[in-house]
Amino acid sequence: MTSDVQNAAQSPDKLFRLPQAKLRPEWMTFGLIVALCVLISILNPAFLQVQTLFDLLRAITVPGIFALGVFVVLAAGGIDVSFPAIGAAALYITAILILKFMPDAPLALAFVIAAFVGTVLGMLNGLLVDVFKVPSLIITIGTQYLVRGALLAFVGAVWLNDLPPAVDSFGKASIVSFTSAEGVTTSLPWSALALVIAAVATWFILNRTLMGKAIFAAGGNLLIAERLGFSIRKVHLFVFGFAGLLAGIGGLIHSASTRIANPFELAGTELDVIAAVVLGGASIEGGKGTVLGTLLGVVLVQVINTSLILVGVPSSWQRIVVGIIVLVSSGLFVSRSTSLKSSFKFWQSKSVELAK
Amino acid sequence: MTNFLVLEGITKTFGGVRALRGIDLQLRIGEIYHLLGENGCGKSTLIKIISGAQFPDTGTLTVGGKAYQGFNPLQALSLGIETVYQDLSLLPNLSVAENIGITAQLVGSDGKLSRLLNARELFETSTAALAKIGIDADRRFLSRPIEGLPIALRQMIAIARAVATKAKFVIMDEPTTALTQREVDQLIGVVKGLQAEGVSVLFVSHKLDECKSIGGNILIFRDGAKINEGPINAFSKAQISQEMTGKFVGTSTYKLTPPRESVLLDVKGLNLSDKLKDISFTLQHGEVLGVTGLLGSGRTELAKTLAGVTKADSGDIKVEGKSVSIASPRDAIAASIGYVPEDRLKEGLFLDKPIAENLVVAILDKLKGRFFGLSRPAREVKSIDLREKLQLAAKDLSLPVQSLSGGNQQRVVVGRWLAIEPKILVLHAPTMGVDVGSKDALYKIVQEQVKNGSGVILVSDDLPELLMNCDRILVLSKGRIQSDLNAAKTSEEQLSKILLEKEVA
Repeated sequence: MTSDVQNAAQSPDKLFRLPQAKLRPEWMTFGLIVALCVLISILNPAFLQVQTLFDLLRAITVPGIFALGVFVVLAAGGIDVSFPAIGAAALYITAILILKFMPDAPLALAFVIAAFVGTVLGMLNGLLVDVFKVPSLIITIGTQYLVRGALLAFVGAVWLNDLPPAVDSFGKASIVSFTSAEGVTTSLPWSALALVIAAVATWFILNRTLMGKAIFAAGGNLLIAERLGFSIRKVHLFVFGFAGLLAGIGGLIHSASTRIANPFELAGTELDVIAAVVLGGASIEGGKGTVLGTLLGVVLVQVINTSLILVGVPSSWQRIVVGIIVLVSSGLFVSRSTSLKSSFKFWQSKSVELAK
Repeated sequence: MTNFLVLEGITKTFGGVRALRGIDLQLRIGEIYHLLGENGCGKSTLIKIISGAQFPDTGTLTVGGKAYQGFNPLQALSLGIETVYQDLSLLPNLSVAENIGITAQLVGSDGKLSRLLNARELFETSTAALAKIGIDADRRFLSRPIEGLPIALRQMIAIARAVATKAKFVIMDEPTTALTQREVDQLIGVVKGLQAEGVSVLFVSHKLDECKSIGGNILIFRDGAKINEGPINAFSKAQISQEMTGKFVGTSTYKLTPPRESVLLDVKGLNLSDKLKDISFTLQHGEVLGVTGLLGSGRTELAKTLAGVTKADSGDIKVEGKSVSIASPRDAIAASIGYVPEDRLKEGLFLDKPIAENLVVAILDKLKGRFFGLSRPAREVKSIDLREKLQLAAKDLSLPVQSLSGGNQQRVVVGRWLAIEPKILVLHAPTMGVDVGSKDALYKIVQEQVKNGSGVILVSDDLPELLMNCDRILVLSKGRIQSDLNAAKTSEEQLSKILLEKEVA
């Protein structure tokens, strides 16, 4: 068509002075993990063994699954603090239903029930956020009280120490296990696979479907996303429903690995998980972050929480370290300080290389 | 020629204000239209209704023989109505390719979000769209987030999005504000190309010269109604602005009273690194002093120094004979110097706070009631008083400032500084981006202000504005005062010649 215009086509770098692309935050998280691991293994060479890796994988399974849900909600510009309550509801209701009506139910049914309970409660969050147009922090603070209260009022407060057999054996089953020279047996439970599946599914949804783009669009700017034709209600229902689904599954796995089911489980884990997601580079203001970054954030918090014990750091100091890292990394990535940016030129050039 | 879109009896009311009062329009296929009108005449509302951002209260929109009560955004897009919004409406965290190509896929899936993303199509669509507007983009550029890209480039990307797919009707809301001449020419080429393909284009712009060079038809709006329409060549510029404002806007002087013989402000030897060099001047009571110069001449720094936004390295400032030291905006207010900054929307207004609060925010300490609280009646009285003075088109002062049109928002900022009753008011580009009618109102406010002995320093690069309002005009160049002109004895040609000459010298 407009050939006279087309022949003038020039590359944007020639037409405008483009600023350098920003450093990807997950590299910072990755660097921190590596630095910490190197430091710990120098101080305590016992850190460097397969057992540590298995322990780590086992420890991050549940927080990792929760974190993926939190990340998807954050990416859409919301926040969810109700997932521990939803997880507790899912695990408790699942255990009670199966023990009462179908003690020999297969494992798959347990997962279906937990996933269903989680999804329904999550979608309730989404519906409330969409209808009331109130920040999701307030909504989910409200619903987590509701869920916990309703559990105690209508479902019961009994501690169940005997889980349904299928769930119980799932908690014990391992993919690999071996005995070290000292005679300590370490195993990698099957539940770790759930984290892998959840991560791949989350990645696929966010990067390969229109819903993924709608989620980031809503997180970038709700009004603009709506103008461009995205249905915000669908996004709200989906992200909170998805977070609820993962909370349900995570709750059941938590129950299987701790071999206990009660309505008070998982209380107080919400901030740890949210901190991990933010450390992985997701923006608390929405629209940013990656699945890989989220998992790295969870690993980082876990390395700090458990591995520092190996080098004799008291547990009170672990919290101080997490606090400092959260503050420093938020300072690095939220403020647009050029001096700080330039001091990370190394990582920047590295990330560009690797991005290719 | 057949119509693409027919509007019949469209009305829209916001909180008692009638933004559109029964609009009938017939927009033909392959035609160019310019929607002209003052701020607040209903242009933005009309665009929002056509693009599906808002539903009309009554009336119908007809496309291809089918009548609609209104569109939702997806419907408008599926009908081929694309919009380049004034705020660009780009998603800062998404990539260039995603911003340009995602709506096409969304329309293709009929809004269903469960569909897979076609990444290859995304890149192909966006590469082709950018090529149409003269940008040869590689994959690396297409993968960059919008965030951090220069504003002119973002404008081009917003335009590329509108022409990325088979658009039939493209709305462009002030698309040239951020663009250089080269890019504007490119855009005009794109528009002509669209027209040749049978696409209709609806422009919104304040730049009449630009509209004339694009050609086509004009639609003149005033007070929510269509006043006139026809081929643009059938109208003169004066005629258009008269129809827009509904009154004849003269070009004579606004000056009412001559300055008095007593010195109000005496500035001696002001220096600020390499930006201001040995600036000395006086301002009389009742005088309007213009300050102008090209970009980088120091006019901005001078305004900011007087307002205490930046601190001078050396120099002596006397207000009515008394030496004052101005190191912060607070000092400036104490010295009775008010400052209306250039970027009002960013620096000046609390957009989501009520109009009344915005008006009185600089004089809160004067409105103290008992028990440390604010005296509500005092605030009411003061803000109503200011509304009269400013001729604000606002019935309800408890509405947020963002509910006002651009020109009225401007008056609120000026009004805030009138509230502190400053002896000296520094106005920095007060009418930038404001329509003719609002300019007229603002100039009258300025002259009212000096009638009772205050002084005004008007920093501007709008030459007719300076000549119409000022007693004297200082021309700055490279941080120095190069000329001190008597406005009454200077013509626009002379002034512009001096401006350019001084820069060369």
